[in-house]
Amino acid sequence: MKKLIALCLMAFTTSVFADYLFIVPQKPGSGTSQWAQIVATQLEPFLGEKIHLKHIPGARDIPGFNEFHNSLRVSDKVVMVSHGGNGVSFLQEEVDYDYRDYDSIGLMNLNIIAAKRIGENMDYPKFSGGSGKVPEAWAMALLICGNKSTSMDYYIACFNEHVTWVNGMSNSERRLAFKRGELNGTRENPAAYKKHVETDENAEIWFHHGILQADGSHTDDPNHPGFQLEILFEERWDAPPSGEFYDAYKLVKSFRDGMQKALWVNKGNQNTFALRNALHQMTLDPDAVAAIQKKVGNYEWKIGEDGNAQVNTLIELITPEALKNLIRFNEEALGLNSIYKDHLVIEVEVPVQLEGTDLRG
Amino acid sequence: MILALLLGTLYGLIIGLIPAAGATTGLVVLFGFMSYFSDPYLGVIFCMAVVAASTTGDTYSGILLGIPGANSAAATMVDGHPLAKQGKATYALTAAITTSTVNGLLWGTLTFALLPWYVKLMMVFGIPEMWAFVMLALVCVGFVSNKWWIRSLIAILIGLFLGSIGTNPVTNADRWTFGWEYLGAGIQIMPMVAGLFAFPEILDGWRKGDRTTISHNTKGQTLNGIKAAWKYRWDSIRGGAIGAFIGFLPGLGGAMGDWMAYGSAVAANPKEEFGKGNIRGVIGSEGANNSQKATSMIPTVLFGIPGASFAAVLMALFMVLGFELGTPDLAYDTRFFNSLTFGFMWATVLVGILCIVFNKYISKISSWPYKYYFPILVVFITWACAQYTGGWEDYAILILCSALGVFCKAYKYSRPALLMAFILAMKVETLTIQMTTLYTIDTLMTRPIFIILILTIIAVATLSIKKNKLEYT
Repeated sequence: MKKLIALCLMAFTTSVFADYLFIVPQKPGSGTSQWAQIVATQLEPFLGEKIHLKHIPGARDIPGFNEFHNSLRVSDKVVMVSHGGNGVSFLQEEVDYDYRDYDSIGLMNLNIIAAKRIGENMDYPKFSGGSGKVPEAWAMALLICGNKSTSMDYYIACFNEHVTWVNGMSNSERRLAFKRGELNGTRENPAAYKKHVETDENAEIWFHHGILQADGSHTDDPNHPGFQLEILFEERWDAPPSGEFYDAYKLVKSFRDGMQKALWVNKGNQNTFALRNALHQMTLDPDAVAAIQKKVGNYEWKIGEDGNAQVNTLIELITPEALKNLIRFNEEALGLNSIYKDHLVIEVEVPVQLEGTDLRG
Repeated sequence: MILALLLGTLYGLIIGLIPAAGATTGLVVLFGFMSYFSDPYLGVIFCMAVVAASTTGDTYSGILLGIPGANSAAATMVDGHPLAKQGKATYALTAAITTSTVNGLLWGTLTFALLPWYVKLMMVFGIPEMWAFVMLALVCVGFVSNKWWIRSLIAILIGLFLGSIGTNPVTNADRWTFGWEYLGAGIQIMPMVAGLFAFPEILDGWRKGDRTTISHNTKGQTLNGIKAAWKYRWDSIRGGAIGAFIGFLPGLGGAMGDWMAYGSAVAANPKEEFGKGNIRGVIGSEGANNSQKATSMIPTVLFGIPGASFAAVLMALFMVLGFELGTPDLAYDTRFFNSLTFGFMWATVLVGILCIVFNKYISKISSWPYKYYFPILVVFITWACAQYTGGWEDYAILILCSALGVFCKAYKYSRPALLMAFILAMKVETLTIQMTTLYTIDTLMTRPIFIILILTIIAVATLSIKKNKLEYT
């Protein structure tokens, strides 16, 4: 019934206005909402049609994406705007949406950068918690605990001993607490890093996660060379990171940063080509690119099939061990309520193993 | 420039007049219109005028109709509406708007003139001090509780429970949502305010088919209102200072400032009766109204950290205009700061004059029978409350909150106490988690501001328990 009503509403909306509707899973004014507003403004001239934003906020930005998946995506005029947090939730929470059901219009493969207070002993970081910072928790555990053991038990115990994980902080509280020195570590996206860290004389870069590549590996960020976690790890522990803990870290950081800002439509959407083409044209326009880079920094777009390939790369990183370890660390080290989603692994593994084909096809 | 100021003031005033819709609602609607500003600085002036004018304008429905113009203006109606019922609507409105305007100008001047100096002050007010300050606000709930103290206590517990619905800040899991995904982000404040205060009054008015006041002689009320604002200037200044301080602290703005300012007026005048039309109650809470909007701009401009919900939306609008708050290059843009100051200050003056001149005409609404305008009120309030998702869930929550409001009013459970507990619930919990994670008793005892606040809490708690004689429910 609900789906029927939604379909009727969508039919009415599209027939009356015939404009594009971008679904944003946050309140107006939030980070992804700002990004969507800027992209929509820049994209409109190339698309030749108006774009409206529809905000569907909710807990951890899940309800809006769920609504897109369950009802709204059947319209050819509806585009979903998502962010990296949706990727992490996809791995560890009960959500309806599934990236494998959509076509990528385009996505921005960003990096997240961790900063520290100058002169602090970062073997004992004080860091703001929450599900959005899960990859940073894994990175800290790797950097601090090294490779004396690769077992999950070792990393969980080491993390609990060394890291003060402060729950319940909003972004505003976190930034102020870092400026005041109550926290000695923080993390930001590239644009926010410029604004909040580079302007702070008491702060400096600690590490970053690197840029996701097509083969699932990560490379150093040219904006912050030499501070990729893998590089820092090898410098300190005389060997590159490896093992089950590292695999789970790669999984969660890739799902967050590899789709930090993304646009999706339902598979088979008749406007996919038009949208991709408009986005491609937009990225060739220096003014449009400058406006978007001001918000998120200088990072490349992956448009169309490149975006789909990125999703396939991410999906291939999901293994039963990595997913189980992610859930275990979340619960035992971070206190986060996470669930292991059996179907996520089975649905991914079976086609790959049985057919032996590349999911990108 | 003048046109942007006039349009912003007019639009803000209209938004302010709509019950339950405040600066945040007014700004959210503007996203689609920002591209029409050929000069982005005009957009800054327009937005700041909207903030100033809507904040002043939201006093009207609280006093005239007993319905808060915004969640931050609910405290004004506790004594303002009874004054309107006594035929003194113009008097109450003039006193309120004079106080609001003067504090807006005073704190606007201090904010914009001394902006760079606030950094050090903000740095010494850490998590323990924030926690103690929120606890102080929670203790102030005692002053807005009514004399039926067991029912007040129950109202506070209900408020705390409703405020804790949403996401558990530690486990990140849904809490008390009963499987309803919509509740994962908690109950929104707008339907809670409208449900608790607006619909019970509308239903009451509709049932009685009555007007707010029978006789309405406005003679001399405007002048008396201005005189009252001067006579009780210390209530006004104290309220302004409380509002300004709360606006300065990120995340605490909105209703908390007004209720604390109102509570302080009650506490400072123990021999007077409140809740039945005491002008000092109106002046006390209105003092905080515009001052906190002005000081909310301090963390927003300096650090790009929004001081209140309206400031977060404002920041995003400025981003669309091409101004990124909290960045160093903006600090050297004098035209930006001039536009910011010009928009806020002149809109405050303009709307103050407009309101005082037209008060006696606008306040005549209180002598009209309710049936003539209640359908319009219902439409506007419902529109304001449906700005969250626009889905059926927004309406369902509004209906549930309205049922709660009607119940509380009928059975004398303190609605102000319930609202304030609701607002503070999550803040108390998260700050407690942060403080206990980062500090020990020993480290807390080295913080003088924290210790002073704790002593104040003890004193205020003792006073508030003894003095809660309000009959307002």
